[in-house]
Amino acid sequence: MALIEIQHLDKIYNSSAVAVHALNDVTLNVEKKEFTAIVGPSGSGKTTMLNILGGLDKPSSGFIKIEGTDIFKLKSSELIDYRLNHIGFVFQAYNLIPVFTARENVEFIMLLQGVSKKEREKQAMALLDSVGLADRSNSRPNQLSGGQQQRVAVARSLASHPDFVLADEPTANLDSESAGDLLDLMETLNESHNMTFIFSTHDDRVIKRARRIITLQDGAVKSDVMN
Amino acid sequence: MLLALAWKNIWRNKKRSLIVVIAITFGLWGGLLSGAIMMGMGESMIKSAISRDLAHIQIHKMHYNRDKLITNYIPNSKEILSQLNQSGEVKAVSPRTLIYGMAASPESSFGIRIVGIDPQKAKQVTDIHEKIVKGGYFESDRKNQCVIGQKLAKRLNLKIRSKVILSFEGLEEDIKYLACRVTGIYDTESSQFDETNLYVRQSDLLRILESEAIYHEIAILLNSTRLIDPFRDQLKADYNSLQIQSWNELAPDLEFLSVTMQNFTYLFVAIILFALLFGITNTMLMSVVDRIRELGVLIAIGMKKFKVFIMILLETIFLSLTGGILGIIIGGLSIVYFNFAGINLTAFAASLEGFGASAILYPFLPTVMYIIMTIMIIVAANLAAILPAWKAMHLQPSEAIRTY
Repeated sequence: MALIEIQHLDKIYNSSAVAVHALNDVTLNVEKKEFTAIVGPSGSGKTTMLNILGGLDKPSSGFIKIEGTDIFKLKSSELIDYRLNHIGFVFQAYNLIPVFTARENVEFIMLLQGVSKKEREKQAMALLDSVGLADRSNSRPNQLSGGQQQRVAVARSLASHPDFVLADEPTANLDSESAGDLLDLMETLNESHNMTFIFSTHDDRVIKRARRIITLQDGAVKSDVMN
Repeated sequence: MLLALAWKNIWRNKKRSLIVVIAITFGLWGGLLSGAIMMGMGESMIKSAISRDLAHIQIHKMHYNRDKLITNYIPNSKEILSQLNQSGEVKAVSPRTLIYGMAASPESSFGIRIVGIDPQKAKQVTDIHEKIVKGGYFESDRKNQCVIGQKLAKRLNLKIRSKVILSFEGLEEDIKYLACRVTGIYDTESSQFDETNLYVRQSDLLRILESEAIYHEIAILLNSTRLIDPFRDQLKADYNSLQIQSWNELAPDLEFLSVTMQNFTYLFVAIILFALLFGITNTMLMSVVDRIRELGVLIAIGMKKFKVFIMILLETIFLSLTGGILGIIIGGLSIVYFNFAGINLTAFAASLEGFGASAILYPFLPTVMYIIMTIMIIVAANLAAILPAWKAMHLQPSEAIRTY
């Protein structure tokens, strides 16, 4: 069974005078351990695709099953729980909680899961160690570089032991060196921890490293190739 | 951790939070202090009335207060006085002979209450002897002395050593006269009392009445105010044919005033909190709007909307409580200081005396009121939090995370 099964996904925005077809009959599967990039020009539907994959937005028609669960049949609070326990998020602008330290940011997800304080601290430190930031565990986001913040965001995304990580343009705000380090880290996590990564990006550095590239154009899958 | 997050969040915009905290602090300080002054005024009126005349408990013949006739004296006063003098709960007792009559000077006359007392016993129950502004308080053994209030002295144009003629009904429904000389003039907190109460020695009064000891009123001062109700109830059980009343039954207006002052304090603080509520709501709304993306991320990564609501609620409560507790501390310290030093309102003494309150007020608030104020702040904070918390929990994460 595929990790993610997407069938005839449509998303139409009716908010403006003219209906916008953001996704148009998208059908594809994502297997475990994939390192996949969803690419395409602005307005091609990458963000919509990622939002729907993350359960942040609902499709107009079609369905998504994650490990057999049709996530849009879940109630609103069940869907939040599902995101908490099954999906990791990495955002373009890092989006760490500014008043928390790096360790507290990573711990916060586990707090929402009800993990004990002792276990949270232990796992958070292990995750920060795995992203090479154990020595910056007590730093606040504003004391970290963009690359470091994004690595903390990766550690946070892994803290809940998700089935897969969705990364929305994760390298867009990073310089080349930081972007390279981040991709190295994600690749390592993908290979050593079997973690599935799905990126939306138009960054060539990411596209070159991705093993599967799904290209969207006008909301439809234009190509789906192995790299 | 959610508590820590809420606490840290309110200090992200220090200026904005401090403005709200200062507004709450000073609003509450003002409310508490003015409330305490009102309470102090009410308390002053009660204390003055108790020490001037009422004492803690008074005994009268049944229905005396309806028909204040000279013949309505307490029938078995000797027995009662003997029991009271033996009681360990009683600090002092002052039996009074009360007659309503006229006081006449060469210039004018006025209706008064003649209070026949044993000065030594009266001194232990009331503080009229401490309020003497001219002359003395029955200092010599000379017969037919009288001590009058300053206002009555002015009304009848009497001075120390002036002669005043008292006329009143005797026990046989005949008219009696007592010519007495003013030896003392007192000035209490109540100008109304000063105008209508004239003190003479009981022995002088009884001699004119040609009667053995008769008492219309027995004023009792107890060792503690906590004893008032149980002791009154005990006396009621022992002497069910007499009217036995505690000070608050004798002067229900005073007790009503005290309760009213307390309620006004609550109302005053409630109005202040209501006004502040809009400021708090506005601040929290701004705080939510500033953090739409962050709140969207929290919902996206798995924070339940209810928890987001709780977080904003906690932030509002923390913000309000910080100001509230500071306000209560500063207000409390101000009240303690002024309770010790007093607030001198001599400039308003004339109007305060009209109410029977002292010109020096000692503000105070009962401890329970501080607790209720804290609860009121928390309630106000909860009300203030509803709108911003509602807005936060209804954010669409997919839109919120793209807000810059």
